[in-house]
Amino acid sequence: MSAFRRSDDGKLRAIFTSQESHVLINLTEQLLELLGEGASHASHEVDPFLHLVGFGANEAPPEDPVLRRLLPNAYEEDEAAAEFRRYTEHGLREKKRAHAMTIYEALIPQDEEWNADNPIDRGSIEVEIAPIQVMDWLSGLNDLRLALAVRLGIEKVDRRRESSDGPGVHQRYELMKESDPMKAVYAVYNWLGSIQQSLIESLDKN
Amino acid sequence: MGTATDEKIEFDLKPDRPWVCVVWDDPVNLMSYVTHVFMVLFGFSREKATELMLKVHNEGRAVVTSGTREEMERDVQRLHEYGLWATLQRDNEL
Repeated sequence: MSAFRRSDDGKLRAIFTSQESHVLINLTEQLLELLGEGASHASHEVDPFLHLVGFGANEAPPEDPVLRRLLPNAYEEDEAAAEFRRYTEHGLREKKRAHAMTIYEALIPQDEEWNADNPIDRGSIEVEIAPIQVMDWLSGLNDLRLALAVRLGIEKVDRRRESSDGPGVHQRYELMKESDPMKAVYAVYNWLGSIQQSLIESLDKN
Repeated sequence: MGTATDEKIEFDLKPDRPWVCVVWDDPVNLMSYVTHVFMVLFGFSREKATELMLKVHNEGRAVVTSGTREEMERDVQRLHEYGLWATLQRDNEL
């Protein structure tokens, strides 16, 4: 991936390899699916009118640890947190889905014969982000990083405070063999951070 | 009658205890991203946003905004939309 650069029209552009865009398409698809309200939250429990105006019925934090991190409690006290979640979780999911969708739509090829299960190699592609879409991108990438961090078990590990007596979890990933699939996940996690960083730096350069 | 009026006055004058929005340290979120979110969401200058980000980073948490309960609920919700870990509470609970 090339660094993002801002053009005179205000748009940010970068070149992604075909493989990079497939990775990002697959990750955003998974995130969209995860954020969708699945069968575990039976829709008959939701008042159809309340649902229409954006209220869900969930009060308990999600059981999935990734969702719990993406949809955190707003209050430290459980009762207030449950009450707030009841009226806001649905809207929060929708916002996050919209952010992920912006990334997905920028990357998904328009040609009809293309599909994610059988991707045609399109070579490198130019990704174009309008000024109004930048926050969607940054937050969508951040949600993907949070999701991967939970799966990697590093969501609460501060690198600065990792023990110096032995390899911490970050160092363990760095020392892993290239063939280890978790090593690849860790590399993707860092890569997502570098896209975020590139976007922010291109905004800062006037 | 007089008592009832007095009670009403006392109730009306009771100050609305301010609420605060607290952002908690999160080792995943990039420092540059957290600073950017503070600038965009709250219109803070780069200096103020950076100072708050560093406070979160070094002290584990920081109060980023204060106001009515409704205002703080809105701020927490927006921070959650952008993946920051935030909660609200009464000012005097901190």
